[in-house]
Amino acid sequence: MNARGSVRLEGVVKRHGETTVLHGVDLEIHAGEFFVLLGPSGSGKTTTLRILAGLEPVSAGSVWLDGEDVTQAEPGARDVAMVFQSYALYPHMTVAENIGFPLKMMKRPAAEIAQAVRAAAARVSIDHLLARRPGQLSGGQQQRVALARAIVRQPCIFLLDEPLSNLDAKLRLETRLELRELQRDLGVTTVYVTHDQEEAMTLADRIAVFIEGRIVQVGTPREVFGRPAQASVAGFIGTPPMNLLPATWHHDAVTVEGSRHPVAASSPASRAVTLGIRPGDLRLQAQGLPAKVLYVEELGDHAILNVQTGPTRLKVKAAGLSPAKEGDTVHLGFAPEAVHLFDPAGGLRLA
Amino acid sequence: MKPMPRQVILGVVAGLIVSVWAFPVLWALLTSFKTERDVLAYPPVFVFTPTLANYREVLFGPASILPNLRSSLVVTCSATALTMAFAIPAAYALARLRYPFKRFSGFYVLVTQMLPPVGLVIPYYLALQRLGALDTYSGMITIYLTFSLPFAIWLMVSYFEDVPYEMEEAALLDHAGRWGALWHVVLPQVRGGIAVTTVFVFLNAWNEFMFAVVLGGNTVRPVTVGMFNFISVEQTQWAKVAAGAMVAMAPVILLGLLAQKHIVKGLTVGAVKGGGRR
Amino acid sequence: MAHSPVAVIDTQAQQERRFALALFAPAFVLLLLITTAPLVFLAWNSLQKLDMSMPWLSGFAGLGNYTKMGSDPRFWNSFTLTVIYTSSTVVLQVIIGLSLALLVLQIPRGQALLRVAAILPIVLAPVVVGLFWRTLVLAPDFGLVDLVTRALGLGSHNWLGDPQLALISVIAIHTWQWTPFAFLVLLATLATLPPDVYEAARLDRASAWQRFWHITLPLIRAAVVMVVILRTMTALSAFAAIFAATGGGPGTSTEILNLYAYRTSFTELNIGYGSALAMVLLTLTAFVSWLLFRRRSSPA
Repeated sequence: MNARGSVRLEGVVKRHGETTVLHGVDLEIHAGEFFVLLGPSGSGKTTTLRILAGLEPVSAGSVWLDGEDVTQAEPGARDVAMVFQSYALYPHMTVAENIGFPLKMMKRPAAEIAQAVRAAAARVSIDHLLARRPGQLSGGQQQRVALARAIVRQPCIFLLDEPLSNLDAKLRLETRLELRELQRDLGVTTVYVTHDQEEAMTLADRIAVFIEGRIVQVGTPREVFGRPAQASVAGFIGTPPMNLLPATWHHDAVTVEGSRHPVAASSPASRAVTLGIRPGDLRLQAQGLPAKVLYVEELGDHAILNVQTGPTRLKVKAAGLSPAKEGDTVHLGFAPEAVHLFDPAGGLRLA
Repeated sequence: MKPMPRQVILGVVAGLIVSVWAFPVLWALLTSFKTERDVLAYPPVFVFTPTLANYREVLFGPASILPNLRSSLVVTCSATALTMAFAIPAAYALARLRYPFKRFSGFYVLVTQMLPPVGLVIPYYLALQRLGALDTYSGMITIYLTFSLPFAIWLMVSYFEDVPYEMEEAALLDHAGRWGALWHVVLPQVRGGIAVTTVFVFLNAWNEFMFAVVLGGNTVRPVTVGMFNFISVEQTQWAKVAAGAMVAMAPVILLGLLAQKHIVKGLTVGAVKGGGRR
Repeated sequence: MAHSPVAVIDTQAQQERRFALALFAPAFVLLLLITTAPLVFLAWNSLQKLDMSMPWLSGFAGLGNYTKMGSDPRFWNSFTLTVIYTSSTVVLQVIIGLSLALLVLQIPRGQALLRVAAILPIVLAPVVVGLFWRTLVLAPDFGLVDLVTRALGLGSHNWLGDPQLALISVIAIHTWQWTPFAFLVLLATLATLPPDVYEAARLDRASAWQRFWHITLPLIRAAVVMVVILRTMTALSAFAAIFAATGGGPGTSTEILNLYAYRTSFTELNIGYGSALAMVLLTLTAFVSWLLFRRRSSPA
């Protein structure tokens, strides 16, 4: 696929001395996509991004940008732009000089640079700050300068390394939407790294979930949320994340902590499984899985009940005010289709 | 009796320290304006008619140290310029880049810094003598590099290490190339470090004595050697020695007072960061 | 797949290597030429009999110079003096510097003035410092010190001319010049210590001395060690101040190894033996720095 901005990683392995950071990553990113690399710290997502940028060499495998093998190409030779987590602005230059720097390095004429800088700055609403220095700007403004510097030369690919993590919560939410709009406007392939699954869910066209140096699932947010491929993915996505507890699956029901519940999928023999059920899918019923309420979090429009059943703690999401108090014993149930079943050994999805 | 407040006691002690450190210089300054007779008087005279005769003699008399000042200027400025020109790129390579034998080269720079000068001055003397290069500027400047260069590299490495690596990566991604990244992004950030290092190198070179006295002669005679113009076996012209010292040390004292904050920072950087590892 | 000009023939690692070597090689080659080559020459000379005053005796001497050293009392004298000189001045510098820094921390207003005063001894040329002290401070009858001792009724002494007092005097000179260095560095380090650790300690009812011993000292250990290393190197190669103040005398009472090597080579013109002495000093310096650096990398 050779549309402008397509990315392919084939069998990329990265070793750091004795440790293997990436175990054979394969990935295909379509042109114009907003693609998110999601995973906990140390899962290899930032390494993958840096390999795409050319800042880290691969130990094995190849990297293809627009159908060309760029595995050995220098960062400056690839047509990618990157926004670093720390923004990496040049403190001794003004905002205008920062933004114009890549064009200056590409020896564009001064008039062209000035115009491009103004356009890029206007795009991210900082055109009134062009004469200032990075040290005089707030975190949010610095981040926009970094963005402007990335978009000013209209690269094939944008790479963003947790660009929102240094902002405070409110600013983060606002900027998130702006980023989405920006990307839609520009139509540039964007690869975005984050550990915040909420960010991934709201921003991405598709997500690749990284766990311990491997991609365990690639899909749209719906797919990753609705049908997690592994228990680890399930336990990572969602706020609060999916509840996981041991159960036994036989025929068309599961037994968990002595309570039997029907499920949509059927198994010929009886087997142990890890049952996954989202907090929002758990309902309080008259009969069902018994659980003791340990702690209630009242969040205004919904409540989270932290309950304990057997050795496992679960979270139950209820709309409105909490239907139970601390110390109560409640009974939980769920719809048969809302169930996710995973193999307790490997964590892979069974149904 | 009321015990004295703590601050006052501490203040007095601090005042004592200041005087211990500043007094010799002030005493010399005072002496340089006395006549030779006044200098030898006991009890010492603090009220006296100041005279500029000593300075006149020191600057314009037969044993003038003006040629010495010139010598010092030439040797020190050249050595400083050469040192910085070689040290800055080398320090960047040590601080940032990966290349074969890097650990060894860092260690090597550290070790050359620790060489006792007497170990160098003897072979240099023989070598320069055979080459007929004793008492020449090129010979002197070369040996001045032996102590300046490792020291400058060592100091600059810590300044380079302070530049965030991501900034260079951003520059590389911005099509700057390695030389462009160094020139446009990294060097501007270590400007302060370059200034401090230059000051230190200059100070050390200006104050150098052993190399100057062994390898110099009548042509190349830095001011540290020129000091002895006023001391001979027969007599020591105390006031003139004082005046000569003040003239000789004026540049470094001035530099010290002006760049004082930077010097302190440089001392701390050098001491705490440690020698050329990465 | 077509390969565009974007793909480069060399790998990135190779490019980085070449860039690095281009930057480092000039300095390295220069250093090799001007420091290592002369040292080899020095070692060679130390194996020669090279006496400029009696040139007809020159020739290869093997380890003759070194064996001669072993039974040379003047050598052992200079060796001992070096050890005494170096250790006392470094210890004094650290103790005085640290005490002063701790003291000054408590007078925030005086600090600026003190820093200016501290700069003065450091920027002066050691030779000038030696001369100052010889002519103005330690001169009998009208030097500063003598004035003070006479006023206190302790009489006048020949501070630099008396063999025993001379050693003390040169140690005092060196300490005077370099204590500010220790002071400034330790003051700056102490100023960076986080105050909350102390507050926690106070809440834990630690006395002032305990706070110093268990919190302050470990935290500034790295800086202290570095100061010790740097000051030791300076003390081992101290030359100009002693040369200007006493010339190594009276007799040989302040003739540290450095000076002995110098005098042997340039006053007595026995370059072979002088080279050997310099080699010994070199070895001593290397050994001491190795010791000190090991202390530095070992955990607290």
